[in-house]
Amino acid sequence: MAVDADADVDVVRLRRGDLNALSELITRYQNRLYRYLLRIVRQPAEAEDLFQQTWLRVVEKIRSFDASRNFDAWVFTLARNLAIDHLRRIRPQSLDDPLANSWHSETVADRIPCKDDTPLDHALAAERRTEISEAMAGLPMMYREVLTLRFEEEMTIEEIAQVTAVPVSTAKSRLRRSLEQLRYALEARHPGGTWQ
Amino acid sequence: MTMTMSEHDKIRELLALAAADALTSAEEKQVAEHVRSCIACSNELDAWRPIATELRRLPTPQPSSWLVQATLARAEAKLAEQAEHDWNRRVMIVVVAFAWLLTIVSWPVFQVVSARFGNLLEPQFSHTLFSQTWFSHTSISFAAFTALGWLAGGVAAVMLAVRQRGERRLA
Repeated sequence: MAVDADADVDVVRLRRGDLNALSELITRYQNRLYRYLLRIVRQPAEAEDLFQQTWLRVVEKIRSFDASRNFDAWVFTLARNLAIDHLRRIRPQSLDDPLANSWHSETVADRIPCKDDTPLDHALAAERRTEISEAMAGLPMMYREVLTLRFEEEMTIEEIAQVTAVPVSTAKSRLRRSLEQLRYALEARHPGGTWQ
Repeated sequence: MTMTMSEHDKIRELLALAAADALTSAEEKQVAEHVRSCIACSNELDAWRPIATELRRLPTPQPSSWLVQATLARAEAKLAEQAEHDWNRRVMIVVVAFAWLLTIVSWPVFQVVSARFGNLLEPQFSHTLFSQTWFSHTSISFAAFTALGWLAGGVAAVMLAVRQRGERRLA
């Protein structure tokens, strides 16, 4: 995860109460934060509500934010805490259990177009991604979370540990277990063969 | 292969993390050396790589534009509310400081004025019991008046804050 100097400037401006800085930060983080929340709660309506709550919390807490810390990790920690509180309140079992009605049922318009060589490649790649999405959605929350933080947010193990409030060694073993679980889930879809 | 079985197993556990680029440089080096001489681990690493690749290429769900606009509007309202709260707090601090200053300054002024006023009324008794009693009663009245003023000010501030909060909720 690259440290964004512009984001740091906006954070300083937001601490002074600059509305434009807030607008720029929301614009900058909107896709990443929404995606992260959607991966955790899996329901678009809930992710939207949590997205709003996260930014209200940012405004509320920005003055207590230590500027020497990583803003990305701080924002994602706020979002995570809200999402976990929400899940504990609404569906306590969902913190561990897979869910049938999952976030991957997005519309085509919601997806970024991929760059594959031919229509066949495109179709195969789309199929692979659908399988990955479905397999990932079936994992427990802590595994989905660590996968999205590593592969979609491109956070380092140290940053993942910071966001999830666990030691680095735990974050690392959690990432390994989440990948193993994902692979088992993918291979279970292709009995006798391997997922490629 | 010179590596022991336990070392082989240890490396095998690192392969998923190697595909995820989540190893330390020392671990990376260890894995790279091992997979050069171990075909099983090399194949295993190859099996992990497409999973990691596809995870990185998952489509990003986009929040709708209304969500972003609504969030911005709510966050801006919150920011404005905080700014107003800060302003009110600063004003309150200044007003309270000024009121205290006024109270403190008014006491010596009051003493001087009341002593002269007592002399004016009864010059021959200015240092008598009558004068002291009159001054004492006036002091108590003044202190009670000051306390009442502070109390009324406090109640007014609380009522104003409650009303403002109610208005904000309705808005």
